[in-house]
Amino acid sequence: MVDLFLNGFVSVLNLETLLIILIGVALGLVFGAIPGLTAVMAIAICLPITFGMEPLNGMALLLGLYIGGVSGGFIPAMLLNIPGTPSSIATTFDGYPMAQNGEAGKAFTLTIIFSFLAGLLSFAILIFVSPLLASIAIEFSPFEYFAVTIFALTMITSLSGNSMLKGVLAGCLGIVLAMIGMAPIDSYPRFTFGFSDLDAGLDVLPVLIGLFAISEILKAAENKDDQNKKRIEIAYKLRDIGISFREVFQQKWNWLRSTLIGVGVGILPGLGGSTANIIAYATAKNQSKTPEKFGKGTPYGVVATESSNNASIGGALVPLLSIGIPGDGVTALLIGGLMLHGLNPGPLLFEQHGDVMYGIFAALLIANAFMALLLIIGMRFFIRILNVPQHLLLPIIIVLCVVGAFGVNNRLFDAVILVACGLLGYVLIKLKIPIMPVVLAFILAPILELNLRRGLMHSNGDWTPFITSPIAFVFLTVALISVIVAVRNNMKRRRIVGDQ
Amino acid sequence: MKTSVKWTCITLLVASVLTIVFTTNIATPTFGESQATVSEASVESYPNQTIEVVVPAGAGGDTDLGARLLSQYVGEELGVSMVVSNIAGAGGSVGSREILDARPDGHQVLFFHNNLLINKLFGVSDFDHRDYKIAAISTFDMGDTFIINADAPYQDATELADYAVENPDELYFGTEVGGYTHLQMMAFERETGASFRLIDVGGASDKIVALLGDQVDVIPIAYGVTTDYIANGDFSSVGVLAEESRELYDNTPSMVEQGIDIEFEKFFFFAFPKETPDEIVETFSQAVKEVVENNEEYQSRAESYYTIPEYLDGEEAFEHMEGVREYYTELIQTLEEDES
Repeated sequence: MVDLFLNGFVSVLNLETLLIILIGVALGLVFGAIPGLTAVMAIAICLPITFGMEPLNGMALLLGLYIGGVSGGFIPAMLLNIPGTPSSIATTFDGYPMAQNGEAGKAFTLTIIFSFLAGLLSFAILIFVSPLLASIAIEFSPFEYFAVTIFALTMITSLSGNSMLKGVLAGCLGIVLAMIGMAPIDSYPRFTFGFSDLDAGLDVLPVLIGLFAISEILKAAENKDDQNKKRIEIAYKLRDIGISFREVFQQKWNWLRSTLIGVGVGILPGLGGSTANIIAYATAKNQSKTPEKFGKGTPYGVVATESSNNASIGGALVPLLSIGIPGDGVTALLIGGLMLHGLNPGPLLFEQHGDVMYGIFAALLIANAFMALLLIIGMRFFIRILNVPQHLLLPIIIVLCVVGAFGVNNRLFDAVILVACGLLGYVLIKLKIPIMPVVLAFILAPILELNLRRGLMHSNGDWTPFITSPIAFVFLTVALISVIVAVRNNMKRRRIVGDQ
Repeated sequence: MKTSVKWTCITLLVASVLTIVFTTNIATPTFGESQATVSEASVESYPNQTIEVVVPAGAGGDTDLGARLLSQYVGEELGVSMVVSNIAGAGGSVGSREILDARPDGHQVLFFHNNLLINKLFGVSDFDHRDYKIAAISTFDMGDTFIINADAPYQDATELADYAVENPDELYFGTEVGGYTHLQMMAFERETGASFRLIDVGGASDKIVALLGDQVDVIPIAYGVTTDYIANGDFSSVGVLAEESRELYDNTPSMVEQGIDIEFEKFFFFAFPKETPDEIVETFSQAVKEVVENNEEYQSRAESYYTIPEYLDGEEAFEHMEGVREYYTELIQTLEEDES
């Protein structure tokens, strides 16, 4: 194995491949940092370019884009309160307040350190134990998926802010949005009102950037004068990037837990990075002794999300590289990348193309390092975005959001959805209804419904397997307990507020 | 300070323009003003701009790879560049509709397969090949097969059929309800009297996972994506759903050779909006013919994706699709009669 590894590194350590990885990561970071453009899009655009490359170089480019695309999303999340990609939604919760408190430098440094470390650990897991993990993932039938998704949905309780009722309401809204389009399995059209454009349902990306980015821009448009000054002040404070070793060290458990969550969620097909960061954030909040600090700029929140989203990359690659099964949209494209070069994805990849595979591992580790390096160098430049007056910056972001929404499926209709969701998000902000549960429910509801119906097909309409499967039972029990605890805490908090 | 603001603005603007240029490979998005007639001059000068190939499936799948490969060579042949846009959703009907409503000037073309017909038959869409002008069939995949676990008590098609006749509804058949492979199950059941338990598991890779995890017993899938698992000793194939065995699919015996008369050949075609002038369709079709029949580099690459390059011109392609449509319709009808 060591030999194969060294060979892998040797095949990557040449100027051409290194340069390709560097370009991939840099381009990925740009795509990640621009709201609306994502890693999936970067890879889809570059896939045809890899046609003419050596297999390893082609894959190195795509993986560089992947790592860069997932990592870059925190930049606008922290500076503008607009997540750059779905994987950094939860980064806005504490990253933006940190930046507002003048701790942008600290938040950036923590993100870079823990993104790098989480990537490293998740790749180590990928390299050493992926066959084992993949064999566990295969055992997941619809019953287990259903239970895991229910568990993830209960995170809504931790993300609801002050009013549990509003959180649940928001969750229901998300489920309704997810229902639009053809039903899973029998393709029965729901809520399409005869518009064929709605047949395919609403795509996640336009809904997401609409709810987060467009609504945020509308909000910023309200206070048109006083924002600019404050931003520039923050920008100056970035010079202060020092953090102590202790501050890093005290995140160790948070980092480890979030990384493992990222890997675990990443492995399960369908969930992926966009849910990993939310789950990791909610878990960090639930486990914290001071949950009230979350949402006001605690480094724990930032470390949790930014560790988990980078870790989900390693997780998503586990089933891809060990048994040839894609875990999400990105890995489906990577399979295309492998097939372009005649590498048939499957369990024999390592036997037949071991040289390329170990080269891919080496490329991942190098790309991870390049990611950290580029971010450290780029840090002081990103912050300049804040120097740009908002009346110039925000319109540009709107344009990019529209481009991103259009690019998902090359359909102008998705841009319409984007604007509609932006208005919806603005209304929700005004009504003080949290947006997060809408998004979480929107992402999870289709997975939930699909697996419920598949499960019932399996059992011929019998519900008992959802409880008798050990894995499903554990997840459902934990879900139930977490809801009960959350409701109790909520009531307790209200009583305290009432007493005062 | 002022200059840095200015430069940041300029950089951002340039970046946004560049991303627009890079991400948008469509010449003009159309808004349903499709019936515009095409002038004679533009018919003569065809093709004079980039041709957009709409693939109504996600990037990286077999339709996408096939489209990208062909686009590269057909584009060279026509002397323009051809770009692929993926418009996925609703079993391919969203992307297909895009071409239905496109400007009929030959610069937007659909690349798709059997599902166009099946979508209409199962009521997912309200249009099929008859609503387009078919330019050509370019490629076939004749390696559709039923895959089972290598340690199953039945190892060829007749054994599988016998087992499923003796133990009705015991074997779990993992498919996509209302999809191409669902029809294959129906055909097998009708032909042999076998009876499976229908389980929806999803696309090709989901089927592999379901079979690996013993959630299902049989999966209908393209031979090409399972070769590794067969070589590995995990899976085996009971036979390809074609007339004859082929070297490309490791000489796996066909169902027909085993006495079960079902044939499912996946065909990939190019189609234009109905109003497109015949001259334009003909020019395009000839370029496809040249590549498919004479370009050896293309041929060998197509075979590396486990597809067979074979050209049928517009008329032959239409006839072929009519035949396929008849077969599918009849299949669905007899099954509906059985149920009622």
